[in-house]
Amino acid sequence: MLPAAFLDIAGAAKTFGSTAVLGGVDLAVRRGEFVSLLGPSGCGKTTLLRIVAGLTAADAGRVTLDGLDITRRPPHRRDVSVVFQSYALFPHLSVAENVAFGLKARGTARSSVGPTVARFLDLVQMGAYADRPVKALSGGQQQRVAVARALAVGPKLVLLDEPFSALDRRLREAMQIDLKRLLREVGTTAIFVTHDQDEALTMSDRIAVMNRGRIEQCADPATIYHRPATPFALDFVGTSTRLEGRVVRTLGDEIVVTTPAGLLRAPGHYLPGSPVLLGVRPERITLGDGGGNRVEAVLVDASFKGARVELHLTAGGAPVLVEAPALPEGAAPGAALTVSWASADTLVYPAGEAA
Amino acid sequence: MRNRPDPVALLALPALLYLGIVYAVPLAGLLVGSVVRPGGVTLAPFADFFRDPFHWTVAGNTLRVAALTTLVCLAIGYPTAVALARARGFAQAAILVAIILPLSVGVVVKAFAWQIVLRRDGVVSQILVGLGVWDEPQRLLFTEAGLVIGAANVFVPFMILPVYSVLKTIDPRVGEAATTLGASPLYRFRKVTLPLALPGIVSGIAFVFSMTASMYVIPSLLVGDRFQTLATLTGRSFLFMRNEELGSTTAVVLLALTVAIVVGSTSLSRRLGGSS
Repeated sequence: MLPAAFLDIAGAAKTFGSTAVLGGVDLAVRRGEFVSLLGPSGCGKTTLLRIVAGLTAADAGRVTLDGLDITRRPPHRRDVSVVFQSYALFPHLSVAENVAFGLKARGTARSSVGPTVARFLDLVQMGAYADRPVKALSGGQQQRVAVARALAVGPKLVLLDEPFSALDRRLREAMQIDLKRLLREVGTTAIFVTHDQDEALTMSDRIAVMNRGRIEQCADPATIYHRPATPFALDFVGTSTRLEGRVVRTLGDEIVVTTPAGLLRAPGHYLPGSPVLLGVRPERITLGDGGGNRVEAVLVDASFKGARVELHLTAGGAPVLVEAPALPEGAAPGAALTVSWASADTLVYPAGEAA
Repeated sequence: MRNRPDPVALLALPALLYLGIVYAVPLAGLLVGSVVRPGGVTLAPFADFFRDPFHWTVAGNTLRVAALTTLVCLAIGYPTAVALARARGFAQAAILVAIILPLSVGVVVKAFAWQIVLRRDGVVSQILVGLGVWDEPQRLLFTEAGLVIGAANVFVPFMILPVYSVLKTIDPRVGEAATTLGASPLYRFRKVTLPLALPGIVSGIAFVFSMTASMYVIPSLLVGDRFQTLATLTGRSFLFMRNEELGSTTAVVLLALTVAIVVGSTSLSRRLGGSS
């Protein structure tokens, strides 16, 4: 049943000085898949990327690519391209020479270098700039050249280390869509490192949420968003209402939890008395009494987000975040509002993990 | 408004005045002195100079020692510059101090130290015999090899520092990008590191070559009178032989050779670095 993974990372560990940057990470990637490593800075995502590329030696663990154990293979013989955050274009070469570099280094026949370079420059819409020096390009253009350069050698795997972080938002969003389409066209397997949850949700087939040198959850974007496996994943991806409480009793497959916002029901099996953390995504909460969990809250602030309105409420001293289609008629800060959500939409975590 | 000079340019005035008085004026005097003879302007002194085979030997000595010393400095200095650019914190500070501190020791003091090291029972001789390179102790002092060793010791910081200052500006990711694209370490060095480091290497070569070609104290102390270079010959002409005509001729020849080689190597390397 288990298909053999194209890239298989097993027990990758790395310690710098006395800091454990990676604590035995496992990750399997299928051929053609686009996987994001998502996490805050210092979570070990770039170190994991560098271990796969062979630029950093792991203290322990094994990396297998396309059936070959490449753990000890030098980086120039791995067939793994990297697109760096700083682009790292060759400043002394032209755009076309940058893209041709990897082909020439691998001894590709001279006659096929030119057409390949032209094809990849066209794919990133940089064909008109072939003879320009790279220093004369804008950030977005350099980015495109870096992607073309990495893909032109036909790597088994391309690693992208926060490639859009230096671009402004509008350009970044355009590039995200372009890159996703390009990678699908070329059919390259890709690992994408980012700290931007929107970027990860937009682009990935699967997201590995990383925290403190571990993968907390690895799943498709919808699962990551709707069913975050840990409080960290809940917190790092998207926004949410978080309520700490204590289980008072069980009701079949549900528990009743006492929280600052009142008694709430949630799916799960916990012993009465257990401390738990409840989470709810803002768009799951509706205004008015719609059954399930019902909370009396006071409006603190409302921010207009275009298509939707974000309501900041407070219930028993705890902040509650609601995303609604529109502001209720006549609601001003201080107004009392009733909100509700289905108990099945309540996420439950054992408390203490969040710390 | 349009043609008003930038007032900031005035900041260069003190240096310009100083160089004008202590450098440009005497140099002009030297150049004039080398071609003006009683009876008018003539290039005859240069013709006479090159007719004498001894002067060819002297010019050969100068260029050979300068070239060898530059080569030794490059061979030692480049790896040191790489280490310096990669080092961080204390290690980097220690290497920098080790490179710069010896500059504060006078050349004369260093040359005397080398006299101790290079003599027949000196450290170098003992090591080479110990390693089996030499069958019996030999004297390096008063030889051309000894001169090159001593000169390289004095001038190697002038190779290391410009190379280091260029290397440290290169994004280490650029080399890593080359590697992940499939470049072997040698290919990466030839096609990426070397072209990017070239401006530093060229200034290092220009510094060391011009300083070695015109050094006076080091050959005087390490080899002595039997081995003449254009610089020592110039010095002897002025100081001992009181032959100012010969002195200004040799000085101009030395100047012309050094400038030609430094400018030539710079433009050559520019051209090599420009293509790939």
